[in-house]
Amino acid sequence: MSRYLLTRLRQSVITLFLVSVVVFAGIRALPGDPALALAGEERSPEALAAVREAYGLNDNIVIQYGRFVGHALTGDLGTSARTGLPVLDSIRNALPVTLELAALSLLLAVVLGIGAGVLAAVRRGKATEWLANAIALLGLSVPTFWLGIVLVLAFAIAVPVFAASGYVPFGTDPVDNLRRMVLPAVVLGSGLAAVVMRQTRGAMLDNLSADYVRTARAKGLSRRQVIGGHALRNSLVTVVTVLGLQLGHLISGAVVTEQIFVLPGFGKLTIDAVFTRDYTMLQGVVLCTSAAYILINLAVDVLYSVIDPRIRLGGAR
Amino acid sequence: MRRTAAVLGAAGLMAGTVGCGSLTSSATEVGGVRMTDPRPVRDGGTLTVALKADPDKLDPTLAQTLVGRTVFAGMCEKLYDTDRTGEVVPQLAAALPKTSDGGRTVTIRVRHGLTFSDGTRLDAAAVARSLERHRTLPGSARATELGPLVKAEATGKYTVRIRLKEPYVPLTGVLADRAGMVMSPTALERYGKNFTNHPSCVGPFKYVERVAGDRIVLAKDPRYYDADTVHLDRVVYKTITDGNVRLANLRSGDVQVGDQMGPVEVRSSLTESQLQLFNSPSLGYQGLGFNTGNVHGTGQKPGKLHTVLAREPRVREAFALALDRRLINKVVFQGMYEPACGPVSPESAIAPGTADCPERDLPRAKRLLKEAGVGLPVRIELKVSTSPEDSRLGQVIQAMAREAGFDVRLRPMEYATLLEETDAGQYDAYVSGWSGRLDPDGNIASFVGTAGAMNTYGISDPDIDRLIAEGRTTQDPAARARVYGQLTDHIRDQHALIYLYRQKNYVVARQDVAGVRVYGDGLVRVKDAGYAR
Repeated sequence: MSRYLLTRLRQSVITLFLVSVVVFAGIRALPGDPALALAGEERSPEALAAVREAYGLNDNIVIQYGRFVGHALTGDLGTSARTGLPVLDSIRNALPVTLELAALSLLLAVVLGIGAGVLAAVRRGKATEWLANAIALLGLSVPTFWLGIVLVLAFAIAVPVFAASGYVPFGTDPVDNLRRMVLPAVVLGSGLAAVVMRQTRGAMLDNLSADYVRTARAKGLSRRQVIGGHALRNSLVTVVTVLGLQLGHLISGAVVTEQIFVLPGFGKLTIDAVFTRDYTMLQGVVLCTSAAYILINLAVDVLYSVIDPRIRLGGAR
Repeated sequence: MRRTAAVLGAAGLMAGTVGCGSLTSSATEVGGVRMTDPRPVRDGGTLTVALKADPDKLDPTLAQTLVGRTVFAGMCEKLYDTDRTGEVVPQLAAALPKTSDGGRTVTIRVRHGLTFSDGTRLDAAAVARSLERHRTLPGSARATELGPLVKAEATGKYTVRIRLKEPYVPLTGVLADRAGMVMSPTALERYGKNFTNHPSCVGPFKYVERVAGDRIVLAKDPRYYDADTVHLDRVVYKTITDGNVRLANLRSGDVQVGDQMGPVEVRSSLTESQLQLFNSPSLGYQGLGFNTGNVHGTGQKPGKLHTVLAREPRVREAFALALDRRLINKVVFQGMYEPACGPVSPESAIAPGTADCPERDLPRAKRLLKEAGVGLPVRIELKVSTSPEDSRLGQVIQAMAREAGFDVRLRPMEYATLLEETDAGQYDAYVSGWSGRLDPDGNIASFVGTAGAMNTYGISDPDIDRLIAEGRTTQDPAARARVYGQLTDHIRDQHALIYLYRQKNYVVARQDVAGVRVYGDGLVRVKDAGYAR
């Protein structure tokens, strides 16, 4: 296991290096001169020249990359070219928001998705399955932005149970935190819950008709043991795989959700940086997001072996 | 499940009602000007202002954005300010400036007994230091507007002398904006370029914290000279880029003031009893620019361009005559902005009179195209930003111009790319705008002066250059207004920059808030604001 972990960690570092190259080159390749965007409305030639000088935009791209990596290795991701705020501070502020949003959405997706998926499979051909399928289809089809606005109108304005925007750390005020985070988590988690539900239902249907389930039933195991202990446990491998693949949905979905609910997370930071060509902020945020993505994938791989010990780890024999 | 369905149903119904009901109500008339709500307010409380964009650096020397100016209005006073009529009035200065030496020397007296938020005393040396920083700091966004300034020095404890290369009448207007903001010399000494993260000025509120992309928090400054009249404890500026989301937050009470609301949101908010609307005319303009000579890039001397649009003013005039400003305002902006046909707002203190905008004249437009001998249709690529307003504007222009004989192809592009290409002269025409300045010179010189810093159009006309210089040196306001009248005519004759409309500043606030002020410069002033008694 430890050898496997070391191999995967080494691969992760190489991936991160490649990502940093792609991110850096990609941002530089974006159309639109960042100096023009940074110099803003009153862009005199002198101001433009000073912006280019201050942010090293006149240097060769390889030198710029070397400087970026050199600083990043010492934990310095630079200062925002637009606001002058340290990028690392902004990331540190944004990280808990996005992590909490992702965790709550994931929790919602897992609980609702797996629950409804199991229910739909067990009650195959009945109204419950039809309803679960219809809701899942709705969850997949409804645009995030529309759902967000409707939820705000319903639960923050008409019946003001939740807040329409903003973030308060859980440690500062847990109640206010949840008041602000429930709606975004529902918006972000609904699509994922639908995917999880459909995958769980499919996997459960396969497993429920498998020979080992028939054997388990023949042995006289209770319905709960057959469904929970056998069929569901085996179905979870598929679900975890899907969850891993759907993390991209969480990250991209967070961009829109954070805009609607004015949550100062990674998504909002990214969008603001893109539109203002704040490339220092953008490369810092994208790099950290990529690192998180790589780590999550690593965790998902490790989780496979915990859920299903039959899965052998490459290089661990 | 039934209860959930009922709530969702109600939500859907409500969404529909809110969206449609407001458009059919008689309460949707937006008329006149409403700059403040004079009701008395109580002390205490936090006011949350939703801004349309995230402000840039909180350093008056480097700052560029309109939303940044709104934040500065809460914490950084200026030597001069504008009042509700657009007149310049003293703020940190004790009186309007005095000129001598044929207008080449300007003397400013600074008010006594004022203190920066960090406890440093305000004096002439602090003013001179800030002015010199605005003028000389690399990357300063104030350098152009302070271009004629040679030196600023303290000649007494509270007297500043400014020496100019040439007479520069717009200086007072310039000092009523960020160039007139005075920064604490102690903070400048301590933080240097990092002043942006520790701004310290003289103002009703002082800087507390900033979280990128989220909020800027200011708190009442007990050292402020007029602290007794400041009612709020704190002001929080939140960035909410989407107008629908800004409005939803106003409705829910999560924010109390929404800045730069669009026509659709304003219409929608008018039927909400808990919301109120402030509006004021703006000093800026929005229009359409043609590339008539930008071959070497903006800020460089214009050259010869061999396109029909560049070499034939009659084609440009025909295009201008194909457009109906009133209809554009009605169709694109629900009639909530003002048609414009010159660079200076009628609201400006130095306004050149109210000449009527040219009417749409299709027969004349067609005649001009025939006289110019160009093949029809004349193909033009019009670059617009990807904002919904610009897209709608582009479509209406396209439809109107088609009737005269133009084939306009729209090219929506992301704003940074649009800037890059238009600055480099890679365009036929583009939708162009400016937030406006107090002094007319700020709306004209950089844009239409030969090799002006923002002359993306490649305009080069000796008469325009002469009149710009004359406008800068003419002291008498009436004579200046006449100069800007002539300038407007000359710019119009070029048909390189077609002024189309002037936005209005729409600010929506909750009913329980009073004392917010919205003037022509488009800033939300919160010094006197508070919760109504």
